[in-house]
Amino acid sequence: MDVKTAKADNIILELKGVQKSYDRGTGKPLRVLEDINLAIKRNEFVCLIGPSGCGKSTIMRIFAGLIAPTKGQVFFHGKATEGLLDNVAIVFQAFALYPWMTVEANVENVLKAKGLDRNDIKERTNHAIQMVGLEGFEEAYPRELSGGMKQRVGMARALSVDPEVLFMDEPFSSVDALTAEGLRAEVLDIWDDTGRNPSSVLMVSHDIPEVVFMADRIVVLSANPGRIRTIVENPLPRPRDPRSPEFLRLVDELHDIITSTELPDIQVTTVEPSVESDIVEPLPNGQYADMLGLLELLEARGGASDLFQVVAHTHVAFEKVLTTVKGLEMLELVETPKRMVQLTPLGLEFVQAGMDDRKVIWRKQLLELKLFRVVKQLLDLREGELSREEVIQEISGRLPMEDPELTFETIVAWGRFGELFAYHKHRGVLTFE
Amino acid sequence: MFNQIFESVWGQANALFYPFRRRRYMDVVVVLAGLSILFGLVTLGRQWTGIHRPVVEINLSPWALPKYTFFSMMRGLAAYAISLGFTLVYAFWAAKDSRAEKLLIPILDILQSIPVLGFMPGLVLALVGLFPHSNLGLELAAVIMIFTGQAWNMTFSLYHSFKSVPLEFQEAGTVYGFTWWQRLKWIELPFGTTGLVWNSMMSMAGGWFFLMITEAFQLGDQDFRLPGLGSYMSVAVEKANMPAMLWAILAMVTMIVFLDQVLWRPIVVLAQRFRIEDTSQGDAPRSWLLRLLRRSRLIRLWEARRVHRKHAPPPAAPKKKAASGGLKGQALFRWLANLALAALAGVIVWGAVALVLFLGAITRGTWFTLAKAGGLTLSRVLISTVIGTLWAVPAGLAIGLSDRLSRIFQPVVQVAASFPAPMLFPMVILVLAKFGIGLNYGCILLMLLGTQWYILFNVIAGAMAIPGDMKEAATSFHFSRWQRLKVLYLPASFPYLVTGWVTAAGGAWNASIVAEYYNLNGATLQTFGLGATISKAAYDRNLPMLAASCLLMSTIVVIFNRLVWKRCYKLAFTRYSLDK
Repeated sequence: MDVKTAKADNIILELKGVQKSYDRGTGKPLRVLEDINLAIKRNEFVCLIGPSGCGKSTIMRIFAGLIAPTKGQVFFHGKATEGLLDNVAIVFQAFALYPWMTVEANVENVLKAKGLDRNDIKERTNHAIQMVGLEGFEEAYPRELSGGMKQRVGMARALSVDPEVLFMDEPFSSVDALTAEGLRAEVLDIWDDTGRNPSSVLMVSHDIPEVVFMADRIVVLSANPGRIRTIVENPLPRPRDPRSPEFLRLVDELHDIITSTELPDIQVTTVEPSVESDIVEPLPNGQYADMLGLLELLEARGGASDLFQVVAHTHVAFEKVLTTVKGLEMLELVETPKRMVQLTPLGLEFVQAGMDDRKVIWRKQLLELKLFRVVKQLLDLREGELSREEVIQEISGRLPMEDPELTFETIVAWGRFGELFAYHKHRGVLTFE
Repeated sequence: MFNQIFESVWGQANALFYPFRRRRYMDVVVVLAGLSILFGLVTLGRQWTGIHRPVVEINLSPWALPKYTFFSMMRGLAAYAISLGFTLVYAFWAAKDSRAEKLLIPILDILQSIPVLGFMPGLVLALVGLFPHSNLGLELAAVIMIFTGQAWNMTFSLYHSFKSVPLEFQEAGTVYGFTWWQRLKWIELPFGTTGLVWNSMMSMAGGWFFLMITEAFQLGDQDFRLPGLGSYMSVAVEKANMPAMLWAILAMVTMIVFLDQVLWRPIVVLAQRFRIEDTSQGDAPRSWLLRLLRRSRLIRLWEARRVHRKHAPPPAAPKKKAASGGLKGQALFRWLANLALAALAGVIVWGAVALVLFLGAITRGTWFTLAKAGGLTLSRVLISTVIGTLWAVPAGLAIGLSDRLSRIFQPVVQVAASFPAPMLFPMVILVLAKFGIGLNYGCILLMLLGTQWYILFNVIAGAMAIPGDMKEAATSFHFSRWQRLKVLYLPASFPYLVTGWVTAAGGAWNASIVAEYYNLNGATLQTFGLGATISKAAYDRNLPMLAASCLLMSTIVVIFNRLVWKRCYKLAFTRYSLDK
């Protein structure tokens, strides 16, 4: 399908020039979305995917009208709208069911809120409950149900309002893998019925095979600030077979796109200037326990592995693996040619060393990073006691696109592991170890 | 609460009841209970609208006690109804209107620290003046005084619940277009129910604290008395009638247990629905009353009708227009809220001006004396809290860590904590007098009497909440008794201990008013202190002095809360919290 030839009335919802930033109180506003242009067409299944912090949930909420964009407009059937859409429905990641209401009441009350008459409510509730296979569970309370059944209630509630576009926010990530398989197929069945709403689905996901299985168009985002990197059309005929070569090829293609944007091979290596510039690199919020685990995994696999094999092997969301790899790459413990992650000689030395030597290497690598040098200098200046507020101030000055609190947490965690800094939470001060 | 005891007693009594159960004699019981409630209300109505007699003769015969107890209980329940209404409106307003919040929450903080006696003279004089020919004014005054002992912490609890509704719950409400009323009914109130029920039980207990004063008091040369358990006790104390005092204590305990079993236990069980944790919990609370009632055919019939009504094909209702007039309604609300806020601000300014004018009568020397009295009472409060901690922490840990002991003692401690301590004071004072201890030190013991239970009760709860794996770890590492105490038991129960301290210190301040100034057998026992000053000022109808001493007390309490308890809470929730 060509976007340009699509008729205007074929588009249900559209974002034009949307930008979103949050006021962080004192400093400059934190920009989370930049220049988002995206349309949801009739009978279309669109998925949003990207690294953590790319604002995919925010985009979904702007479409739904739950969050207002800072700049730009939302168009519904070609008309600019503001605020919540009519008949909007979201399936939430953590279900958001009211635990004090039965399954039936959870659905019914949504319809009561719409001011429907009683017969209509009854009919629609029964229909929605039947659509997701919850008959017999009407009088159960959500706490009696498993994750998969809870999400069915979430879906029944969403479907009951007859939404033209169904929004789903990582709907299967709180559900175990086996149940998720079943739910995906059911969602596709419900959407596939073109005579009936929902006409289109917008789903946020962090699972690449999942989006290839479900989406017509896959919107790949990049982070800081969130931007649309590329939109991949998925022409595979339905029903799709996850083991077919075409399916695997598309999955592979997506892997390449994501690694090339998130872990680009061509590093811009500048000559070390005589005077240190003010520019610092953003710090990925990698957990050192994950980083150590990944290094061990790589060593066990002979020093290198495909990034997405790591994802498949560990069942960890790819955003998290990406963040971990980025952290290791920053510390020069791994390199990432194409989609491979491989140990550097230093990384190998680190993995094979004992805990004490590991810490020596870690500390040395931390001090190669400008940000850690800056914090260390500040700490020297303040005679070994630095307040959290001051560090955060410094970070937000130097990294205006980053969440300074998250970066501070990473500095503390990495610094603690390297025995470089100690942080006293109650007093909110950083000291030398 | 006392459930375990009742369950076991009930288990044995069950066999006796077996034939009744089969023939559903429960229906007869339900009808009889309904009739007796009706009779009680008629009697109450007669008392309330009866001709005003400032001094009611109190009959000290134990046979008069059931009626008096019933009157007192109805006052407490009426006060609770008012507290609940106040809580709903005030907490909702504070949570929804961010401008009003800035004013409402500090006001609540201050109201909470004003001793009940500070409200008394103004209330009584105003309300008696309003209804000069019936008992209604005096009754209302008593009810409102009980209300001032109940409402504030309920309001705080609900406000905090309103403010901490999980984001996804709110988002779902927004997405599906809930109106403010639907949000309140379906999200916010259910979310706050658990905390509100718990605080209601605490508040109800707190409301009894000043029962002896609220039902029988002197204002200058005027003597006010209402028929009730509190005034029965007051008269018994005045006449030093020991058997009557014991009867009154028995009646009070009976009332506390009765209310717990008949009112709170069923409510706790019904409120189980509103739990937030997603897992079903193993040891769900039970209520014998609820179980019994469900056996009644009448109740079943009523329930069945309700369910039937829910499932019957409903009459086609006229289609409501969704969110019709939403904007207009909102504007009206906005306008009303602003008006109310302005009125409130006006009252505060007026009150402050009046207070300043009032306090003009207090000389600098008097302020100095008051400050000394405040310091003295503060030290008594702290000493009583320390003594309470010293014995209640080891005892609480011992009880809480043993399944057997906690099963026996927890209900007992809960009754003790709900029991209004001033009713025990005369006996303790008599004993103290025998040993030649005056009220100066003796009143510390009196305060302790009212407050130690809060510490004990919280430490027991804390010890019971220590996760089993942590205890197993301590055992497996061969920790000595002292190490366990230092490493596990004390830190793990610290958040509970802080709650106990705050409640205990608050209770001790209240107790000081009664403990430092006591009328016994026609004589007035008193010692120098801020509590005594407040009591004396109220009895002498010395309003400027009363205002000054109450102002000082609430200032000390608020400052102490800010400087000490807030920090303890912060420490408890950052370092010693067991979550996460």
